[in-house]
Amino acid sequence: MKNSRLAKHSLQMMRRYKLRSSFMMLGSVMGIAALTFVISVGQSAQRKILKTVGQMFGDSGIVIHDGGGEMMGGPRGPGSRLKIDDIAAIAKELPGIEVWDPMQTTTATVRHGGSADNAIVRGESERWPQVWNRTASRGDLFDETAVTGSARVAFIGETVARELFGNDDPVGADIQIGSVPFKVIGTLEPWGTDPHGMDRDNEVIVPISTLMRRLTNVDTISAAKLVVTDAARSGEMKAEIKRILRERHGLAAGQPNDFSIITATEIRRMVGQVQRVLFFYLPLAASIALIVGGIVSASLMLASVNERVAEIGLRRAVGARTQDIRLQFLLETTLTMLSGGLGGVVFGYAVAQLGASRMHLDGVNPWPAALFGIFASSLVGFLAGVIPALRAARLHPAEALR
Amino acid sequence: MIELEEISKTYKRPTGEPVVALSDISLRIERGEFVSIVGASGSGKSTLMNIIGLLDLPTAGRYSWDGADVTTLDPNRQAEMRNKKIGFVFQAFHLLPRTTALENVELPLLYSDRRSIKDLSRRALEAVNLTDRIHHRPSELSGGQQQRVAIARALVNEPDLLLADEPTGNLDRASALEIISIFQTLNRAGRTIVLITHDREIASFAGRIVKLERGCVVSHEAAGESRASTLELRSTGQPRAAVPTQTP
Repeated sequence: MKNSRLAKHSLQMMRRYKLRSSFMMLGSVMGIAALTFVISVGQSAQRKILKTVGQMFGDSGIVIHDGGGEMMGGPRGPGSRLKIDDIAAIAKELPGIEVWDPMQTTTATVRHGGSADNAIVRGESERWPQVWNRTASRGDLFDETAVTGSARVAFIGETVARELFGNDDPVGADIQIGSVPFKVIGTLEPWGTDPHGMDRDNEVIVPISTLMRRLTNVDTISAAKLVVTDAARSGEMKAEIKRILRERHGLAAGQPNDFSIITATEIRRMVGQVQRVLFFYLPLAASIALIVGGIVSASLMLASVNERVAEIGLRRAVGARTQDIRLQFLLETTLTMLSGGLGGVVFGYAVAQLGASRMHLDGVNPWPAALFGIFASSLVGFLAGVIPALRAARLHPAEALR
Repeated sequence: MIELEEISKTYKRPTGEPVVALSDISLRIERGEFVSIVGASGSGKSTLMNIIGLLDLPTAGRYSWDGADVTTLDPNRQAEMRNKKIGFVFQAFHLLPRTTALENVELPLLYSDRRSIKDLSRRALEAVNLTDRIHHRPSELSGGQQQRVAIARALVNEPDLLLADEPTGNLDRASALEIISIFQTLNRAGRTIVLITHDREIASFAGRIVKLERGCVVSHEAAGESRASTLELRSTGQPRAAVPTQTP
């Protein structure tokens, strides 16, 4: 009864010193908002990245890109030398390659009747559904004869289908990619947005031979993906692929690669680094904000104790015990920081929602962050209140009243 | 009701040398009395009030309340005594700023187990004629009104003893008389009052005046009837007719 009265009274005191309370709250609002944002968006982003990486690389993929350079290591060097024959030679020479798929892409305007859509056009082999883990939602996949015969058949993504056909069934319809007529033989299972924010359903898949001969008129490919039987050996495989490609491209020792190779293992390591940033450094930065807020609160509270010496003396005179004084100052700092923390949770969650919708993330779950925020701000408030509360409780009543 | 026996208080200066604030004070105050303690500054009257009010402990002597020694009580029990049995009124009012009169009066109840805090506080403010100011803050009240709020706060827990330390020191004459007349009314209703002041005239409204000089009681006189008579210190046990006969 007495303690609940004291808690209510502490809230009143908090409201009475609005400026001081707002400054105290600011630190916890900022810290907790940052934490809430990082935790809720981070979790959602992590799910998204892992899903995308899984879709793109699987457990045992190796991707070879035309052009040199390192992944995330600046722009790719000059390329245009990677050919289907290179990949075929690798597959022939190296044991343990389950399946592979070459790829070349371009962008083109796709038309049907009066409608048009700018889409990414990918040339793939008949093995792409296996290699890239994609399927058709309607119609049939193209087969080997379509690739060898450079057939003008196309798979279209959901976005392209909606733009060109609305609610009509596109299967069997004629479309134009650039100026070349194609027949739609199916639609792709929806994929969503990739980590770059690209709509992966705004795509058209055609046989790679058709794309190279009729649309881009090149004899090189932009990339290829190999699926290996033993993911644990992907490091060795990468070295072997590198040796074969350098040999085939006639690169002398000292000359840089004109291709780059990434394995699923490396990608996972990169994701791990991103996760460390998301789940270690950002929360660390947020925690520092919170700690700084705590220190500011502690010093504001200490100043407040010095300012309220007479009040403390009076409270002792009218019957407050030392523990009542201690509790009051602890409650004042804890409740102030907690209110700031609650504000921070709301603010951080609002920003997280905004960020998530911009980044096409879904399922932002605020509860872990909210619970953590409430806990962390109360803890910081409590710790910040300890020294001021002890000092207030130590004051001698007769001296405080002088 | 309360009895001080050979109470002494010695402070230590930061240099370590002792300062005697009170020396062998013996004093008995009966229920229903109105006693003034007078003395120049430095005479030890504030120290005496701190000891009577259990805000400070004597270095020697015995202080008993209704026969029981209170100096040996643990600090929490002393806090409880201050809460339940003693009401303080200070020269500087000591009202919480930015806090309404009513909330200021509630303060002692916050540390008690009593219920209906608002009603009790309102009644205490009625007793000092401040019903029309209950939602005013100290900054919106005159000095006299602020001191009346402080008296209401001292009375809200219905203490046995009202202890006032220079309650008129910060007030003009009219307000001071107003405060004294409230004390007289309270005393007539049976409340025990100890008033500490350096002002002889204010002191003379009490039933008895105890004069302190350099930490010692030098005289002990009945203000109303026999102002000049110095009574024997240890034997002034009778409760007095509490209404002072003197007018300013």
